[in-house]
Amino acid sequence: MRSSLGVLVGVALVLSALPAAAHHGWGGNSDAVSEMTGVVVSPVSLSGPHGTMKIKTADGKTWDITLAPPFRTSSAGLKQDTLKVGNMVTVHGNKNRDANRFEMKTVQVDYEGKHFMVYPEREATLHR
Amino acid sequence: MAWLEASPLGHAMRDTGLWTYSVVNLTHILGVAMLFGSILILDLRLLGLWKQVPLSALSAPVVSIAGIGLVVALISGSGLLATKATEYVGNPFLYIKFPAIGLGLLNIWLLHRSSAWRAHRVRALEPREESQLRRMGGVSLASWLTAISAGRMIGYW
Repeated sequence: MRSSLGVLVGVALVLSALPAAAHHGWGGNSDAVSEMTGVVVSPVSLSGPHGTMKIKTADGKTWDITLAPPFRTSSAGLKQDTLKVGNMVTVHGNKNRDANRFEMKTVQVDYEGKHFMVYPEREATLHR
Repeated sequence: MAWLEASPLGHAMRDTGLWTYSVVNLTHILGVAMLFGSILILDLRLLGLWKQVPLSALSAPVVSIAGIGLVVALISGSGLLATKATEYVGNPFLYIKFPAIGLGLLNIWLLHRSSAWRAHRVRALEPREESQLRRMGGVSLASWLTAISAGRMIGYW
């Protein structure tokens, strides 16, 4: 009885030591990194599982910009008051594989010469 | 949904720090784990496993842990939903999850009203009563498995 409890505790410890998987992962998004420029229509929100914002590109499409989880996005310098509606930003990241879903999992946000690297360990410029 | 998002609960979820959502999410998982972990044992017993364990010995601890888990899950889940409630409109998994929860709760209510459930505390059950409880155990297992599966998939839609 005692040994089976020990095994159970051991398994639990090993599992908890695994890196916490991101909420969605990147599977639903293209492997290719792309960038696009647009105007902020909904500023950064740090509530929920991920930071989010919305931008409108020149072709009139509104994109859901999925950022890192709240703490990491904030640590990268991107806070809820950093960007205002109307600011022009460039985002780098991986677009949703579904071409009808205007969503990008975003690695980096550029604004007025500042680079907010919300996923610094990921490649933001694979295409170069 | 717009009402829920604009409610004080929705504001509290959004405006009380970077870790609020994740901690409430953790609480939700703990609540669901308490509910499902305990009710799974009861449902399997009702379905015919571990006949040597008296149902009356099992039911009291299971019902209290499951009840606490249910309350924790309902409160924390309301918070998670309220964070950005309008974004879930049209999410098909939501429309599977909530009817499944409704069925699970209805089943709990019917079980507790049944004469077989009331009788199990004081005497051995007749075969007819055992098969009635077996059906309810099956419905319970199916409804909570559906609710949990659909709930987990909401985030992947």
